[in-house]
Order: sequence, then C-alpha cells, then structure tokens
Amino acid sequence: MRIASLAVALAVAAFPVVTHAQAAPATPSVKADEQVVLQQVMTDKRAVYARNLELTDSESRAFWPVYDEYEGKAKKLNDEFLALVDDYAAKFGAITDADATAMLKKKMQIEKDREALKQTYTRKVAKVLPPVKALRYAQIETRLDNMIRREVYGLIPLAQ
Amino acid sequence: MKNFKIALAATALLSVATPFAARAQSTYDETQQLIAQIQTDARAIVLQSMALDDAQLAAFTPVFDAYQAETKKLAQRQVDLITAYSSNYDSMTDGAAKGLLNDWLKLQDDELSLTRKYAKKLDKVLPSTKVLRFVQIQNKLGTLLSLPAVQGVPLAK
Repeated sequence: MRIASLAVALAVAAFPVVTHAQAAPATPSVKADEQVVLQQVMTDKRAVYARNLELTDSESRAFWPVYDEYEGKAKKLNDEFLALVDDYAAKFGAITDADATAMLKKKMQIEKDREALKQTYTRKVAKVLPPVKALRYAQIETRLDNMIRREVYGLIPLAQ
Repeated sequence: MKNFKIALAATALLSVATPFAARAQSTYDETQQLIAQIQTDARAIVLQSMALDDAQLAAFTPVFDAYQAETKKLAQRQVDLITAYSSNYDSMTDGAAKGLLNDWLKLQDDELSLTRKYAKKLDKVLPSTKVLRFVQIQNKLGTLLSLPAVQGVPLAK
C-alpha cells in the first residue's frame, strides 16, 4: 500500500503540528517537501491506474490525456488544501471563531470544487472508455481518494 | 475502541449487503439493524468528541439528530447501490454500468451537500470552532466507514 504510506508522509510534511509539539508556520523547506511527496503520490496513482484499468492501445490513447488533464487540475486543489492545512497548523491552539469560519468556508469550497472536478472528469472518462471500464476507473479513484483522506484526516488534530 | 467497533459494523454491513463476502444472504432487517448500530456508535463518538457545554449540547442535538436521519437515507442508498452492483457483477452490461456510475456520482454529490447543509445550520447555533470540529469529526468517521465498504467491493470486470 504505497499510496497510503505516501499519504502519511504527505500529511506529516504538510502538517507541522504532528511532527512538532508547537505549531509553527510552514517553512519553505516544508512546502518543498510537500510538493515532492505530492508529486510522488500522483506518480504512484498513475501507476495504479495503468496496472488496474487493463486498457487496450486505443483506449490508452484516449484515456491518458483526459487523466493527465484531470490530475493537473486536481493538483491545484491539492495545493490549496495543503496551504489551508499549513494555515491551520500555524494557528492551531489559538484558532478564533473568525479563523474557523474562514477555514471552514475555504475547506467547503475546496471540497465542492474537488467533487465537481471529479464528476466532470469521470464523465469525460466515460465518454472515451467503455462503460464498464469507466465504472472501474471511478471505483479506483474512490478507493485511492478514501485511502489518502483517511490517512490525512487521521493525522490532523481536532479544532479546540 | 469505538472507532474499531464502528469499522467492524461497516464491514458487517457490507457483508450482508452483498454476496461478495460469501456469507449470509442479504436481508432487509439485518441491514437496517447494522445501519442503526453504526449510527448509534457514531452518535456516541460525535457527542463525546464535540466537547460541548450544556447549552451548546441542547442546541446541537436536534440538528445532529436531523443530520443523522438524512445520513441514514444516504447509507441505505449506498447499500442499495452495492446490492445492485453485486446482482450485475458477473454479467455487467454497458447499460447497467452506466446506471451504477450515475447513481454513484449522485450519491457522492449528495453526501457532500449534506455536510455543507448541516455545517451552515450548526453555524447558527454553535461557535465556528465547534462547527469546524464537527466537520473534522464527520470527515474522520466518513473515511473510516466508507473504506471497508469500498475496499471490499471487487472492481468491475
């Protein structure tokens, strides 16, 4: 379960609260680490799809451009989420109601955008692959997403 | 320990909802019983984890109960979807795959909308830090519950 362990690393890199007793703003090196691990997670995800979708040559030619476009857009949302987690870490222990309102609003917006993106691209995949393979794609995406979320959420302490 | 218990219940829910686990046949009563058990466990976890004072608890509980009632409907839809998937699994037609995919996407969308809807309701009766905490707890429980259900279902073939 390489993806899961990378997700842990991603969360640890992204969330200084876990690795340091005192919260502190994310330093440039932490942000660089986040990007390295995020890139690795995306590379691993691509390998999981390549291994499990069992695409023919023509399906591959149709699928990968759509997938790469999706991941490119998803990365922007991942970066926004990491920035939010960094902000949460920096303020952890002294989060005001105003902070919480702004963070919640941002988180909800990212989640909404992420779900919309996921749905848009699942439908695009469904236009270029046979329905059963499109369903398989959605299943894999859901599994990977759940695994990563579970690890990340598990490492973020509750607001106080 | 509570989290472990809830994960076990989710796994059990999957096993009665689908023949993939090669156990007992799906029955409506068993499924309802397990959904109720998961919700009871989730309620205890949420109430304990929210760390509310008496006034906050009085304001929170009715909203949370309404949230759980709506969550139950979504849980039932997920069970129905997995059951339909299992019925079609060995001879999945393109039409069935399209239908299942559309239903799954709609369910995902509705789950997210429900959390947003209740975060807004809670924001009217609780401090925002508590609302943030509620959403964080739901995120943790959500992934904990969905993981065994999703992982236990074989990929379409």
